[in-house]
Amino acid sequence: MHKLSNLVRIILFIVLGVVIFILSNIVDEYRVTQGTTIAAYVVGIASIILLTGYSGQVSLGHGALMGVGGYTAALVGDQAGAKLMGETATGVNLPIPLTFVAAILAAAGIGALLGVAAARLSGPYLAGTTLALAVGLPSVANQFKSLGGEQGLFYIVGDPPTALGEGVTQSKWYFWIAALTTLIAIFWLQNVMRSRYGRIWKAVRGSDVAAELAGINVARAKILAFTLSAGLAGLAGALWAMTIGTVSPSAFQLALSFSLLTGAVLSGVTTLGGVMIGAVILVAIPEIVHSVVDRVGASQTVADNLPSLIVSALLILTVIFVPNGPVEQMRSKSMKKKARHH
Amino acid sequence: MKAINRRKLVSAGAMLAVAAMTAVAVPAQAFSPKSETGVTSKEIKLGMTLPMTGSASPGYNKVPAAMKAYFDYVNANGGVNGRKVTLVVKDDQYVPTQAVAKTNELILKDRVFALLAPLGTANNKAVAASVNPAKRGVPVLFVNTGFSGFADAKKYPTTYPILPSYVMEAKIMGEYIKDNFAGKTIGLVYQDDDFGTDALAGFKTAGVKFATTVGYASGSQGAATAAGWVTKLKAANCDVVILFGVSSATAAGLGTAAALKYTPQWILGSVGGDATTIKAAGVPAGVLYNAVGASFLPATTDTSDEYVKLFSDIYAKAVPGSAFDNNVLVGMNTAFVAVQALKAAGNNPTRKSLLAAMKSKGSTFASAGLLPLNYSATSQVGYNGYWFGKYSPTGDLKPEGGSYTLYTTDSGTGAVVKSTYKRPAMPAKGLPK
Repeated sequence: MHKLSNLVRIILFIVLGVVIFILSNIVDEYRVTQGTTIAAYVVGIASIILLTGYSGQVSLGHGALMGVGGYTAALVGDQAGAKLMGETATGVNLPIPLTFVAAILAAAGIGALLGVAAARLSGPYLAGTTLALAVGLPSVANQFKSLGGEQGLFYIVGDPPTALGEGVTQSKWYFWIAALTTLIAIFWLQNVMRSRYGRIWKAVRGSDVAAELAGINVARAKILAFTLSAGLAGLAGALWAMTIGTVSPSAFQLALSFSLLTGAVLSGVTTLGGVMIGAVILVAIPEIVHSVVDRVGASQTVADNLPSLIVSALLILTVIFVPNGPVEQMRSKSMKKKARHH
Repeated sequence: MKAINRRKLVSAGAMLAVAAMTAVAVPAQAFSPKSETGVTSKEIKLGMTLPMTGSASPGYNKVPAAMKAYFDYVNANGGVNGRKVTLVVKDDQYVPTQAVAKTNELILKDRVFALLAPLGTANNKAVAASVNPAKRGVPVLFVNTGFSGFADAKKYPTTYPILPSYVMEAKIMGEYIKDNFAGKTIGLVYQDDDFGTDALAGFKTAGVKFATTVGYASGSQGAATAAGWVTKLKAANCDVVILFGVSSATAAGLGTAAALKYTPQWILGSVGGDATTIKAAGVPAGVLYNAVGASFLPATTDTSDEYVKLFSDIYAKAVPGSAFDNNVLVGMNTAFVAVQALKAAGNNPTRKSLLAAMKSKGSTFASAGLLPLNYSATSQVGYNGYWFGKYSPTGDLKPEGGSYTLYTTDSGTGAVVKSTYKRPAMPAKGLPK
């Protein structure tokens, strides 16, 4: 196996970053805000790919883990937003990068606990456990005054530094933060997957009995995967909260967990390469539906409900026709072709 | 080979994203540098968010059609300085997160001139914090919530409430209770967010003592939760119960209490007191009979009122078969005031001139309100009072004794006094000059 050197990879990521930066200055502001949502989805979907695609575990509860991240970020960094709205603040006002770190740590902590349970469960039992988390956790937030009830908490990342000039809107600033964070997260995730752990997880996914015979501590590998995946979900949650400016139970509903899973399947769950595909589809479909509906003049209700139907249909079609995702499919095709030529 | 492919695919994925984002990136209207966003020579585009679906939607989902009916009436009669008024409506399901996303769409994608009557306290707060219309200079006219804080020019410089605040309503209700139900055991059901907090502050100022208060989480209202409210209210032996929530909560409370044979004297908050909505939810008119309600507009059945007559005629033609109720009246009245604000903003309206017009001319706008609009250079307060009435056997809110007794107050600690305001006559044909 020939692998790109780290230096080349770093250069590629920097080039990608520059392209994204240039783009953010060309497209209009609305696209920029969508870009921020895509970035949050990319991290969320990547967390599922790490968990399901690499370590072979399933989670229907990553939306709730995003919630843990979002709430944590809001709790340790809400001073500005709370003051703006005349709310009581927690008194902790960490700088934004540290609120992201706090989000990762808190979600990873919960993920580690879940991981311990997950190491003993598999298949439908694990799906059920994580599903319960996705349903239950958001309503927990409703029970505590300090978490703002149904209204939630504000999480205002704030205005861009004035040194950047007038042309930098808040939307652009949020997008840059999200894009940079996402690039770093994906780079790091690639590193992990290329490491010993990536290989261990693949072995576990292939067959945990065989992995155990090969001297791998299966339980520990699974717990580690769950912890890291949860941490990433927490980061996605913080980015998500940043894009909407608030965290509330309604922002982290069960549907979000399913969206992440759908995005992962559409991206191809066993490879990080297609991670953007799922994220873009999730953001683009409601957009396309709305513009079509506007043109043919159908009702708003159709426009609001059709996207979920299309996404579900895509999910089913993907599972039937390209179970490993479009990217993996293309790759295996080209590999077969090459094999034939040899 | 595998690793190289993966790198290629990362960038391929990026390219895909790029293509998708740029494909429909620059809308045509971006290239009309002279006029204000959302204003062309033929059109003024406004946007609103409200629950069209979901648990809080009943009743309020009639508002957009009501507003459009009046705008179409104006458009058919020459429009606003020759321009048609259009309204883009987005469903936020009464969820703050959705309100933020949809408002972003309205401002950045649909490029509306101003926001009109976005509904919900929590929703408007979330929008103010993260979309920040004030910073973008976008006017937010006539928010459909009575949260007193939105009149604060420091926090919300471009936001103009129109409804009397929940604090005012609670204070006036307190006065009504003193006059009519002194010595009774009183209970309160309220929405456990800023909507309810505002009301609690008003009741406190009014000195109302509750035997029990029941807060419900927004979105949780339904027969099952309402059974819990009734149990608590019954246990506290409440003879008088105030339902201060959205329409679906009022309906759940009334319906469940009736089913459980609990019949206190009901007092309904104005935003949740629309009779048609409550009846549509399956509550028999008889249950509503004799409940106390409040409004700042004429009764919807009062066809001797020139505004009610005109608006109900317009509505009947635009939306045949739909009942003319309080939500419709509030919506059409809001549209009526909005048209005057747009006219006052001048021949070439800008967001700035609209806000300036609100300050300089806002208090002179005609309206169906039985109380004055209090807009000025230093005030963003809309109406400031209520009349109380009782629901008739058919479930229509009518003033007690047949004539409106209006009370007025402020959102602070000011006294509740009788209003002496006399509403000016309606402009000819309901078309502001």
